[in-house]
Amino acid sequence: MDLGSNQSITLSNIETIPGKTIVEFYGVVTGNTVRAKHIGRDIMAGLKNVVGGELKGYTELLQDSRREATERMVEQAKSMGANAVVNVRFATSSIAQGAAELFAYGTAVRVE
Amino acid sequence: MRFIPRSPEEGINVSKEHPLVEAGTLIVGVGLIFAVIAVALIFLVEIALYFVPAEKEAALFEDWLPNDIVAVSEDDERSQAVDALLKRLSQHYPNSPYSFRIAIDDSEFMNAMALPGGLIVLTAGLLDAVKSENELAFIIGHELGHFKNRDHMRALGRGVVLGILFVAISGSGAGSNYGASIADLALRGFSRSQEASADEFGLGIVHKEFNHVADSWRFFERIDEGEGELLDLMTYLSTHPSPDDRVDALIMLAGENGWSITGELTPVSW
Amino acid sequence: MGNMEKIGLALNFGVPLLILIVAYFVGNFIEKKHFRQIIRREKALHGFPVTTFQALPPDWQVGRAEMVTGSVVVSLDYFKRIIAGLRGLVGGRIKTYEPLLERARREAILRMIERAKKGGYDAVINVRLETSRLANARGNGHGIAGVEMLAFGTAITLNQR
Repeated sequence: MDLGSNQSITLSNIETIPGKTIVEFYGVVTGNTVRAKHIGRDIMAGLKNVVGGELKGYTELLQDSRREATERMVEQAKSMGANAVVNVRFATSSIAQGAAELFAYGTAVRVE
Repeated sequence: MRFIPRSPEEGINVSKEHPLVEAGTLIVGVGLIFAVIAVALIFLVEIALYFVPAEKEAALFEDWLPNDIVAVSEDDERSQAVDALLKRLSQHYPNSPYSFRIAIDDSEFMNAMALPGGLIVLTAGLLDAVKSENELAFIIGHELGHFKNRDHMRALGRGVVLGILFVAISGSGAGSNYGASIADLALRGFSRSQEASADEFGLGIVHKEFNHVADSWRFFERIDEGEGELLDLMTYLSTHPSPDDRVDALIMLAGENGWSITGELTPVSW
Repeated sequence: MGNMEKIGLALNFGVPLLILIVAYFVGNFIEKKHFRQIIRREKALHGFPVTTFQALPPDWQVGRAEMVTGSVVVSLDYFKRIIAGLRGLVGGRIKTYEPLLERARREAILRMIERAKKGGYDAVINVRLETSRLANARGNGHGIAGVEMLAFGTAITLNQR
């Protein structure tokens, strides 16, 4: 999963984009999604709790959610005229039984 | 590095779809899924029944009595009387694979059950509530009708599968209650038609024995008028058709077959 | 179908449906009102710098600094709960929750900024966001009573900008 760059927007989770300088900064941008897993994954997870191992269904679910949250964050940044988002962080929390919220946030900037 | 205040566009983090649309599709979708599951279950049970024919069932459960029943002794005058009545009635249903027997449960609630192996359980409370042999004959005949259709096995099978289904989905919160209600509705429809069929058979048996069907449904008319423990009534009504509908159907049935609804009544001997 | 059965059916499905409809309309109204209020306050605070990193423009000189927080707990209405429950069976995005979390987040950030402004600060840097769910006190901790959103960062005064 390539989160490093999204069309014309560069992302980084450090203060700057290495090799470039920030010329302008605009503000905080966020992206979030809430997803629920379906009953099939629930049952599989229940079984895996007995034998152990990777919960592939959940891994995919969270990967999809993370990608979607990042895309939304990038969309917000683009709408502000930024070309990079720095200091990106992710946060996951369980919102309801079997549903997880995932959000990504960072600061939208222009680098050159 | 300059600070230039800018705001992102509105609405990127929310979906454009109207929440009622999502609600509508979910409610209808989940309802349909559960209805389909319920109907599929019914077919599964039919297939299972095919592999356990009545003869095998009768042999398996020949002398079986459920554990939670406090049986009244065979020497009790009620046991003797109902055994005699059963004998008379089952003569009109000669080719059954079951050898029918009755056990009386010493409970004050009114209940009559058809159980695997040809066992009919009547409660002491029921026997106290019937006022003539004709009423009791219809109730016994109704249970015989269930045996003819093997309804009791169906109910058992469905109960087991529904139980498993319920345990599997009970972790999902509010949605599963709705699904369970939908499945329950679908199954109630089926059990009601079973009851109607058993009623028809029972009435026929009564007519063969007494040559009339007087007072066969008088018992249910009394229930409709409010006799009997309320808790009792609620559980009864959840699977049987309501008494007034049932009585109407029986009256029509008697009319269609030309069976007389007046005649001499035989009182109960206890 | 007997009369008693019809009544039973109507109660079993009708009452939850009615509550659902009422919850939807009331919840929707409250949500729209909150969004309008949020947008108004954001406009008022438009020029206030907020970043998630620590680096500052070289010509900024920092005076005082203090950690500031803003938090809010938003509750779920019955309609959202039911929809989430149904989603839990079939999976997918719970679209009705998204405006809720959006509101919570923006409200928390606004409160943090308002707190900073009240303290006489000129910017907030290194902002972090955290979500937590609050479980129901009744019912064994199943189900959620609300969602808490926390925003915290370092507020600074600038001697010259």
